Amino acid sequence: MEQILKLWSESGLAQIEMGTVVMMAVGFGLLFLAIRKGFEPLLLVPIGFGTILVNIPGAGFEAAPIYDAVGHLESPGGLMYYIYNVGIASGMFPLIIFMGVGAMTDFGPLLANPKTLLLGAAAQVGIFVTVMGAVGLSSLGILDFSIRDAASIGIIGGADGPTAIFVTSKLSPDLLGAVAVAAYSYMALVPIIQPPIMRALTTEAERKIEMVQLRPVSTREKIVFPMLLLGLVAMLLPSAAPLLGMFCFGNLMRECGVVDRLSDTTQNALINIVTIFLGLAVGSKMSADKFLNWETLGILGLGALAFCIGTAAGVLMAKLMNRFSATPINPLIGSAGVSAVPMAARVSNKIGLEANPQNFLLMHAMGPNVAGVIGSAVAAGVMISMVSGF
Amino acid sequence: MEVDLFQQGVDLMLFGMGTVFAFLISLVGACYLMSRVITRFFPESVQAEVPVQMAPATTVEPHIQAVIQAAIDKHRSR
Repeated sequence: MEQILKLWSESGLAQIEMGTVVMMAVGFGLLFLAIRKGFEPLLLVPIGFGTILVNIPGAGFEAAPIYDAVGHLESPGGLMYYIYNVGIASGMFPLIIFMGVGAMTDFGPLLANPKTLLLGAAAQVGIFVTVMGAVGLSSLGILDFSIRDAASIGIIGGADGPTAIFVTSKLSPDLLGAVAVAAYSYMALVPIIQPPIMRALTTEAERKIEMVQLRPVSTREKIVFPMLLLGLVAMLLPSAAPLLGMFCFGNLMRECGVVDRLSDTTQNALINIVTIFLGLAVGSKMSADKFLNWETLGILGLGALAFCIGTAAGVLMAKLMNRFSATPINPLIGSAGVSAVPMAARVSNKIGLEANPQNFLLMHAMGPNVAGVIGSAVAAGVMISMVSGF
Repeated sequence: MEVDLFQQGVDLMLFGMGTVFAFLISLVGACYLMSRVITRFFPESVQAEVPVQMAPATTVEPHIQAVIQAAIDKHRSR
């Protein structure tokens, strides 16, 4: 009889609490969004499943290892504990993913028209305005965010998953679940969020602007570029060096042409493996006490705001550049400055085609698009170096 | 405390945006400079591609080209 009682007390039904039930429902909700609606399935399937696993009462996925007073291992702890600490607390997974992204990125369109880098800078306005929004809400006493939390929320506006995870894991790990879910969901929503803003800020005539054909870029320029970028980062902003350094390394492997095997692994097998573990580890931070509160709602709202402001700032900057540039610039490519590669560039192309069926903006939009990746990594570096003191 | 937090936010915004723009503007400059140096002093790889692309166009002999042109004209005039 005692045995049966013990077994019952360890069963899921006996230990279940309201919070874990709701979080498991959230996990199933994420799986639904990923599988049925096709929202960033590569990330949301592991995150959703990780959320369910970690909220199973008594399974101990998130348990830390326990040592006795002498230092002998009493219980080794759970799988998610190790995945999280090895991969995310150390910053390793986001950096490996960034290396893979670097290996997938073609800087050709950017090198053909370097001034599109400015669009990538302008779109980062969203990040910093959102920081102000979070700080404002906190000052008014509506929600409780520290400056570190505010920086983590702002980085959602960078529309760059690995960057957001990197910054949040460094500055406020408790918000990681909410920030990562917001970042990846809004990236999936780029084709819905951006077009109304782009249409509202441009005239029909501006959307019809055709841009001059990009010049061909030599292999040598493409090989030198990652080293140039790395040199600038090393000299001006070392705090962005982890992200951009790995990015440049991946890109150099792609462009140098002598390590195709490494480049292939980085772009495919390695990034896939790391994505699985990254998703599970983010899911492991989706526990009821950290996710089910008003702050999460605030994060989702502020994240959407960050996206909208970033898009608008990019479009407005492109309009400004079009006024002063010798060659015409279609303002629609400005919105691609929010990274979210390559979705944002495709959106620019699609809206451009609606206005003028002969107008192919895709390659022109890829320039600001990869510039946005650099811009958000730079913003991440600034935030980490400025905020981590507090 | 609250004023302090707000001040931190403002600082972060100003310095952050400033750094992002300063960094990317210097990158724009560096890119232009790098492209100019490479296309001026090490231009082979660009030139090497040009003759390869030109080659197929010149292999069509003039009288065959005239025949093709005549056929296209006839097709268009229908």
